[in-house]
Amino acid sequence: MLYLVIVLVLLALFGLPLFAVLGAGSLLFAQNSDLDSALLIVELNRLATSPNLTAIPLFTFAGVALAAGGAPQRLIRLFNALLGWLPGGLAIVAIATCAFFTSFSGASGVTILALGGLLYPVLRKVHYPERFALGLLTTSGSLGLLFAPSLAILLYGIVAGVNIDEMFLAGIVPGAVLMIMLGIYAGFTGARFGVHHHTFTWHVALRAMRSAYADILLPVLIIVGIFGGFVTISEAAACTALYVLVLEGFIHRSISLKNRLVPLLADTAVLVGSILIILGVAIGLTNLMIDAQLPMKLLAWMEDSIDSQLKFLILLNIFLLAVGAMMDIFSATVVIVPLILPLAQRFGVDPVHLGIIFLANLEIGYSTPPVGINLFIASQRFEKPILGLFRAALPFLGIMLVWLVIVTYLPFMSLWWQ
Amino acid sequence: MLVIKHLHNRLIQLETWLAAGSLFLLLALALLQILARNFFDAGIAEADTLTRYLVLYVTFFGAAVAVQRDRHIKIDVCCTLLSPALLRKLYRPTQLLAALVCAFLADAAIRYWRDEWLYAPDHERWLVLVGLVIPVGFVLLTIQFSLAALLGREETCCTL
Repeated sequence: MLYLVIVLVLLALFGLPLFAVLGAGSLLFAQNSDLDSALLIVELNRLATSPNLTAIPLFTFAGVALAAGGAPQRLIRLFNALLGWLPGGLAIVAIATCAFFTSFSGASGVTILALGGLLYPVLRKVHYPERFALGLLTTSGSLGLLFAPSLAILLYGIVAGVNIDEMFLAGIVPGAVLMIMLGIYAGFTGARFGVHHHTFTWHVALRAMRSAYADILLPVLIIVGIFGGFVTISEAAACTALYVLVLEGFIHRSISLKNRLVPLLADTAVLVGSILIILGVAIGLTNLMIDAQLPMKLLAWMEDSIDSQLKFLILLNIFLLAVGAMMDIFSATVVIVPLILPLAQRFGVDPVHLGIIFLANLEIGYSTPPVGINLFIASQRFEKPILGLFRAALPFLGIMLVWLVIVTYLPFMSLWWQ
Repeated sequence: MLVIKHLHNRLIQLETWLAAGSLFLLLALALLQILARNFFDAGIAEADTLTRYLVLYVTFFGAAVAVQRDRHIKIDVCCTLLSPALLRKLYRPTQLLAALVCAFLADAAIRYWRDEWLYAPDHERWLVLVGLVIPVGFVLLTIQFSLAALLGREETCCTL
């Protein structure tokens, strides 16, 4: 069995789609346990009973439509008008815009592709050092993962069986703290290099506000809708998708619904399909592992060597940083969360807090070699070598590591609403 | 080979329309349900169940199209370690292996579906029919991966 696992890991490293790796693992596991492989499909079919599942394709569609409809340009203009007068203003604009956009686009690399090309020349024009601009835009590709309605939060909620409303609330403070920390660093860098920042003018701000008010209202409406008890998560997702269609199709007229609707729907389906097929196949494997008492055995082993929550959290962070450097966030959520959840509960870590720790680690992993997706996408977008981008991202990763320590060891930041 | 390419293109077109159509139907049904509940104090029978199954439709048809676009999630260590030429050579074998895995999963799904159909009470038969997407989805994935292995690809898996 061990040989087969090694073969599967090697196949994964050589580019076999992850769902096929997990599917092969599930089939082998079932055969080894003398179980009918049809049991895997029972679990997949059970996926259709998950009440929040419909939110994933609908929020993803909203993100895809926003990206295609010119929301990045409108947001940059707005944040520049509102925050561009601050020291390091333009870098803060980049942080705010990327965070806002990523919460909708699902950190699938769209942020760097959509915003990087717009922000990089502007940052360079006002004399930000090249290394700073590249590092900022590379790491900003995953900012906003902790804000509603991030796809990563939805997926964690579904896999861990945690209330998604609570996850949305839990992500607000840690997400905002990271933005502030990066903003302060940007401010210092701006001052150090004497970067030009413009003066605030009301008429420019009002004009930018008029063009982007509907975009900026979107997360507010989602939060108010869900926490005001007006709509469920899935209903909020449907309303968001409709709102974005009306906004881009009829108000801004940036998307021709006649010509672009089907391609946008298909692009969304491809993105959703590549993520949820992993979830569908992995659910079967996870249940087989649970039936084989694997998490319990892991727990028994850990209880022998770990005697405190602190030690557990330190090990968890090291493990998750390694996972983040090796796997993308969606695969990691589906494969790793069911294994660490019982361990975390045994050591008294709240599942919601665990979710924030998990996503924070993976957010850092996005910009860490060997497989940090932000590095690959930024490398293609800016035509720079991956190692150079990693070096550029190091100061930002350092700040994010400090933030990770804060988020991990100060649980009230995530659980303030309890 | 030309005929196979032509059939492949047709299949992709069909899957693209089915994926887009399923997502559109999902959105429409979810919105109708909200309208019915809030303005007419009524609900569409089984709409919630249908919308959840539509997610599976979007997933399987989307995953089938993702094969052709080479958009399935991979652990891309190979992208940093291997040369583009080697990556191109690895493409066909990995696609063939994925086709094999999907074929086994399709077999499991067909057996599961047949049992469900045999033992489902009459009033739940429609739900089993809706669930046909699982075996069909895995069969489509098997076909797509087999065709990908047969036809090959110019770009490497790391090309965005």
